[in-house]
Amino acid sequence: MLTALILADSRFPGGGHVHSGGLEEAAARGLVVDEPSLRSFLHGRLLGAGLLAAGFAAAAARGEDLDLLDAELDARTPSPAQRSASRAQGRGMLRAARRAWPSARLEALPRDPHQPLVIGVLVGEAYEAALTCAYLAVSGPASAAVRLLGLDPFGVNAIVASLAVEDVASQACKELPALGSPALDLLAEAHVRREGVRLFGS
Amino acid sequence: MKASARLVVSLDSHGNSVVRVLRSMTPLTLVPHRRVGPVALVHLVSSVTAPLGGDSLSLTVEVGPGASLELRGVAATLLLPGSSGAVSSSVVRFLVEGTVSYLPEPTVVTSRARHTAVVEAELDGHAQLRTREVLVLGRADEKPGTLSSTVRATRCGKPLLHQQLVVGDPSVDASSAGLAGKRVVGTEVVLDSVERGSDGGEWWSVVPLAAGGTLATALGDDVVTVTRVLDAI
Repeated sequence: MLTALILADSRFPGGGHVHSGGLEEAAARGLVVDEPSLRSFLHGRLLGAGLLAAGFAAAAARGEDLDLLDAELDARTPSPAQRSASRAQGRGMLRAARRAWPSARLEALPRDPHQPLVIGVLVGEAYEAALTCAYLAVSGPASAAVRLLGLDPFGVNAIVASLAVEDVASQACKELPALGSPALDLLAEAHVRREGVRLFGS
Repeated sequence: MKASARLVVSLDSHGNSVVRVLRSMTPLTLVPHRRVGPVALVHLVSSVTAPLGGDSLSLTVEVGPGASLELRGVAATLLLPGSSGAVSSSVVRFLVEGTVSYLPEPTVVTSRARHTAVVEAELDGHAQLRTREVLVLGRADEKPGTLSSTVRATRCGKPLLHQQLVVGDPSVDASSAGLAGKRVVGTEVVLDSVERGSDGGEWWSVVPLAAGGTLATALGDDVVTVTRVLDAI
C-alpha cells in the first residue's frame, strides 16, 4: 500500500510531471477550456486509456509474463506517440524504483517497459496496482490543466475526486482490456507534430 | 437468426486464385465474381435485413499460400434492434497464408441497437491483410445504440493489433478523449512488410504499428471525409 501511495504522489521523482496525457494538445485546440470540458476530458480518458493501463498494471501485479504483456500492450497502443510516452514514463519510474525497491522481478521487465507494467510489478497486488494506474491516468492531466489553463486547483481537485477511479480499477482486474481511444491517439500524434513551444512531452 | 458461412480461396496451378469452398447461409450470401485471375473477387451480400437484435452471424475465410482474395460489401450495414432487445453479434475470422483485402461498406449504429462485432485474423509469416471499418453513430439526427467492435490480428501467434472500440455512451462519445463528438469513426489497417511514415492532420493519422503494419484512423462528421483519409493508404 505504501508503494502505491508513493507512486501516486506527484512528488515521486519518476518524471511523470512532464506528461499531460493529451491535455496540452486538447487545451491548445480549445477543446478543454474550463472545468466542465476538463471533467468530460478526464472522464473519457479514465474510461478508455485509464482502463487499458489499469488492466495491464493488474495483470503485471498478478505475476503474468512481462514480455507477453509488453507485446500485448504494444498491440493495443497503435499510436507511436502514445507508445513512446508510455515507455518514457515507464523508464523514468523504473529509474527511481531501482534505488527504492530493488528486486529480481523489476530486473525481469523488458527494456524501456510500458509504465503500467512497472506499476504492477512495484505494487504487487492487482487492485491496488490498477487503482494507482487509473488514478495516474487522470491526476497528471488534471494537474497539467491547472498549469496550462490557470483553472482553480480546488475545483480541479474536486473533479478528480468525483471520477469513478475505483470502479475502473475493479473492472480492470476482471480481464485484460483492449479499449482503444481514437481521439486521444490523434491528439497525441498531433502534439508530436506541433511546432512551437510545448511544455509537456505528451 | 443464426448463420455461419465459409469461404476458402487457394492458388491453382495456373497462378489463379480460385474459390474452393463457398458456403453461404442467409443472411451471409457470398457472391463470387466470374472473372478468373490472380485475385479472386467475392461480394458479401446481406440477403435479409440483418443483423437484428438476437442474430448471431459468423463468417470464416481461409486464403492459402500465394492466393489473393478481395472481399467486398455492397451496401452499408444497419445495426437494428430486435423485438426482444437482445444483443446481436457478428464474428469474421480470417486464416491467411496469402493476401486478403476486406472492405465492407460503413456500419450504421441505429438507435437502441446492441451489437458486438469481432474481426479476428491469424496471419502466417508472409500473409498480408487489409481491412477497413467505418462506423456511423446513428442515422441523421438519431442517437446511436451501443456497439462494441473488436479487431485482433496476430502473425505467427504474436499480436500485431488488438483494439476494441465502444460507441453509444454519450458521456464518452462527446469527450475530447473519447470520440470528440464526431459522428463517424473510420480505421483501416494494412498488415504487410511495407514501411510507411507517420502522417496526420487535426483528426486523422497514418501510423506504423509496433510489430509491423500501418493503421489509418480518422474521425469526422461525415463518411466522405473519413473514407478519403482511408483511401489514401
